Amino acid sequence: MTTALSIPLEHVFFLAIILFLIGAFGVLIRRNIIFMLLSLEIMMNACGLAFVAAGARWAEPDGQIMFMFILALAAAEVAVALGLVVQFARRFETLDIDRAEELNG
Amino acid sequence: MKLATMFQAGLPYLVLTGGLLVVMIGVAIKRTHAVAAVLTIATLIATTLSHIVAYSALGDGAVQIDSMFKIDGIAYLFNILFLLAALVVAFLGSEFLNRRIRFKEEFYLLLLCATLGSLVLPAAVHFASLILGLEIVGISLYAMIAYPEKARPPLEAGLKYLVLSGVGSTALLFGMAMIYAGSGSMEFANSLPSDGSMEGQYFYLIGNAFFWSGIAFKLSLVPFHIWTPDVYHGAPSIVTGFLATVSKGAVFAVVFRYAIEGNVLDSGNVQFALSVIACISMVIGNLLALLQTNLKRLLAYSSIAHMGYLLIALLVVESNSALGYETVILYLVGYFLMTLAAFGVVSVLSMNQEQELETIDSIGGLLWRQPIAGAVLIVSAISLAGIPLTIGFFAKYYLFYAGIDGGMWTLIGALVVGSAIGIYYYLRIVFTAIKRPLDDAEAMTGLPWTGLGILVVLGLCILALGIYPTNLIDLIQNVVQASGF
Repeated sequence: MTTALSIPLEHVFFLAIILFLIGAFGVLIRRNIIFMLLSLEIMMNACGLAFVAAGARWAEPDGQIMFMFILALAAAEVAVALGLVVQFARRFETLDIDRAEELNG
Repeated sequence: MKLATMFQAGLPYLVLTGGLLVVMIGVAIKRTHAVAAVLTIATLIATTLSHIVAYSALGDGAVQIDSMFKIDGIAYLFNILFLLAALVVAFLGSEFLNRRIRFKEEFYLLLLCATLGSLVLPAAVHFASLILGLEIVGISLYAMIAYPEKARPPLEAGLKYLVLSGVGSTALLFGMAMIYAGSGSMEFANSLPSDGSMEGQYFYLIGNAFFWSGIAFKLSLVPFHIWTPDVYHGAPSIVTGFLATVSKGAVFAVVFRYAIEGNVLDSGNVQFALSVIACISMVIGNLLALLQTNLKRLLAYSSIAHMGYLLIALLVVESNSALGYETVILYLVGYFLMTLAAFGVVSVLSMNQEQELETIDSIGGLLWRQPIAGAVLIVSAISLAGIPLTIGFFAKYYLFYAGIDGGMWTLIGALVVGSAIGIYYYLRIVFTAIKRPLDDAEAMTGLPWTGLGILVVLGLCILALGIYPTNLIDLIQNVVQASGF
């Protein structure tokens, strides 16, 4: 096994999991859509960190390539999301997702 | 592998991408709904037909394109299924757009994009191509769900789907990163940890936990199903039809590939977790559907249950991968037909109304008020319940057979219980549609003939394949065998 990493792999993954959980709790607890999207972004970046660390363990560029993938993906997702948020703010006159109660039952 | 062979095998993808670009440029030059619709439908048909040319390139089983894609007959079979479903959506969608929406043309771009993504998935054998296909489908779907931008429910549904599907994708990505950390390869075939170290095993297991949670989000399996009824309810019915069929089917296609190539189910933990998810999805999905009075939400819960049923086919691949593939393809054919028929009926009936058709009561006496749509809805409900003479019966029969072959008695028990509960609410749809309408209920007229025609075709397919499924089963078996299983 090649180890090109001076920080132990477990530590990086520990950090990534903490970031992931912060994001997940943000999505669950926050009711403002902008903050939910921010939390989602934190989760995405946690994945990116995990990929880079995994790539470093094998001394391969694949992990970093996946990180580029994730960046592109997050950008595309946010582009659509912000479009929807603008429409949402116009129709509902709020950014609170719980105030939109068209769908229940 | 020769370059020419690769191009020939990848022809459907090239045709679809080319068609997508033509439609995009066409819309940019001049907005004409009819032209966009015709180009889209032509592209879908041409892509479907291009599989005939491409199939001869496969030769001895499969064509590998780099380490990203492995194209074989099974992938083509899935592709054709998705393309035909997209064709139905394009036809029904054009009527829906004509009557309800101001800016119509972009819908076709999104539809073609989502279809392209769903074509990528059955051929994916690498984590990168998996996430690529999944997100092409996902991001197109966010916009399709919220397409009627003036109305409030679609917007709310679109945002909810975006956030929760995003969470699913990140869980999936995190799982991939951990599996990669454990095994050193992102190809499905080498994703088992090779060095046998304790560390690698831990990474692999935790990674799989994340991975399958993400997949369960995408397939709306219990306990990751909370978004499903809201999104199905809020989206325009025809988009819901697409979401419920193509996007779910594509995820199943890639998950099968991962399970077979990566031998994931060798791990007892993964198998156990999937069995538990399958059981609770079947039972809880059906139980929650009992309480529903809203037709679209009812179908949402029923689709949760159907996804649970399909996990049986996934679990059987460990002992008998050919049977697993046959089961999943046959079941998906049936599920696609009946789900598209059900959502198609809702979509066609809602076309003249301001609000989408919602409660089950609103279809009271449908058979008398609008005989064609009523008959198709009844056929599809009967098929969803799995009653003989419909494709739904054979699909479920195959599931039982697969379950017995794999000796999964608990899952078969859950399947029986789930189906029994299911019959109750599917028959409620049937009885509501049959009962004599109230005097003040007016007949539904002025519905588009193309829409009704498509519905009739779907209904006839359900019955024809239910009465004489031999040809379909033979075709599936031949293709699965030719692909080397």
